[in-house]
Amino acid sequence: MREGDTPAIRLKGVSKRFGPGNLALVDIDLEIAKGEFVFLTGPSGSGKSTLLRLLFCAERPTTGEVSVDEMNIDTLSGAQIPLLRRKVGVIFQDFKLLYNYTVFENVALALEVIGLRPDQVKKRVKQVVEGVGLGTKLNRKAIQLSGGEQQRVAIARAVVNRPPIILADEPTGNLDRKRTGEVMMLMEELNARGATILFATHDERLYQNTHRRVLRLKNGKLESAK
Amino acid sequence: MMISIFLRRALTDIRQYLPTQMMTTMVVSLSLLILTFFCLFSVNLQHFVERFGNELGIVVFLKQGLPQERIPLLYQRIAGLDGVETVKYVSPEEAFKRLRSYLKDEQEVLEGVDPRFLPPSFEIQINRAVFNLTRIKQVAGVIEQWPEVSKVQYGQEWIDRLEALSRIVEKAVVIGGLLLMLTAAFVVANTIKLTVYARQEELEILRLVGATNSFIQGPFLIEAFLQGLAGSAVALSIVFGTYVYLERMLGLSALFKNFELSFLPWQYVVAIISSSVILCVMGTALAMRRFLRL
Repeated sequence: MREGDTPAIRLKGVSKRFGPGNLALVDIDLEIAKGEFVFLTGPSGSGKSTLLRLLFCAERPTTGEVSVDEMNIDTLSGAQIPLLRRKVGVIFQDFKLLYNYTVFENVALALEVIGLRPDQVKKRVKQVVEGVGLGTKLNRKAIQLSGGEQQRVAIARAVVNRPPIILADEPTGNLDRKRTGEVMMLMEELNARGATILFATHDERLYQNTHRRVLRLKNGKLESAK
Repeated sequence: MMISIFLRRALTDIRQYLPTQMMTTMVVSLSLLILTFFCLFSVNLQHFVERFGNELGIVVFLKQGLPQERIPLLYQRIAGLDGVETVKYVSPEEAFKRLRSYLKDEQEVLEGVDPRFLPPSFEIQINRAVFNLTRIKQVAGVIEQWPEVSKVQYGQEWIDRLEALSRIVEKAVVIGGLLLMLTAAFVVANTIKLTVYARQEELEILRLVGATNSFIQGPFLIEAFLQGLAGSAVALSIVFGTYVYLERMLGLSALFKNFELSFLPWQYVVAIISSSVILCVMGTALAMRRFLRL
């Protein structure tokens, strides 16, 4: 990161406690530059998901400062949270789709919340869904798709409003090797287009031979960085 | 712009969650049905008490040997009293004729009796528009003081009973109505709560993609409005259908031929529809509150 550049994500002395004696994150200091692709690893329960949840304001830190795309989470009011979430695309291991809705309806949701005109929504959704290789399944209900396809719908929904930051929480956890490869390619492509990506995974194969930065969490502490 | 999105999403949700939506509407209908039937019953009971009391008149017996020229003056005086609708003079001869026809086969007991032995009287009906049970008592009380009058009859016992019944009905309507409204509110609010809870994942996803609270709530509130409207419409339709059926049955029955059934006044209909809508919308807004916090 060049000196003077504002990082896309910054955590300073961040701790998160869930009740007495249950410390999920301990004194985390972290900066991720705009356009960077970073892996966040660690065993289950190490605090990866908690850290991501702090970044889209599903949780507030117990101590410390969190800022995302120049928005300070600590001072964010309830009404400003949706504005932050429009800047952050989130992808989950369990997809979090509305299974009774079609592919189109699921992806369109992220554009409808920002009040885009129906014709613009239609155009943009079609474009993005085609981009993730599901152009022919636009009107299929999410429940009728395979796991890999469902994950691609979730990715399409996360990126359709062109957020500068993408948070992926074990997005390949439920996928086989082939589908995992497809998801990784999509993520690389999004990063190449300028998105900052924080990719949480405990699958070592995904970052073994990478030139990307790899952050390791253990018992809530940031242990090492490659 | 947002309204059209809300409407479209509300319609999509109704289609997607049709069984749940129908179940909620049915619970709203059933809860309101009991309340609506209760209203119909109480309205008709009150009408019955009023109508029955209305048929009670006042009979004023005059003193024997009262000069004939006093009769028109008394007639005028009675007719001029506030609340009096009709006055009918019954001469001793007319009263005797009525007695004869009443006795039918036992008319011989009247043989040799002077046809003028019965006192002349006035039969008074109270105006329906200003009618109430206490008005009859007041009018009777005034007439009773006149020197020309020997006795006033106005079904004192019946009026007292009707008054007591009327008071009980009024209290029962207020207490029963309130209890039923509370029950309906409780059942509807809890059903809506369960419906909202069943869709908490949807709410979570909407929040994740950056939806504002109003964007999330909008379609839910539209759905609640429609549920309240449909629920009350179904309840009122069933009660109206039952009313039409009962009215037809009463018309066919010789015993209840003169018993007129009334449907709920429009104020009741408006109150039932609005309470149903308000209940559903408020219930949904309250149930959603916990999902709209951080």
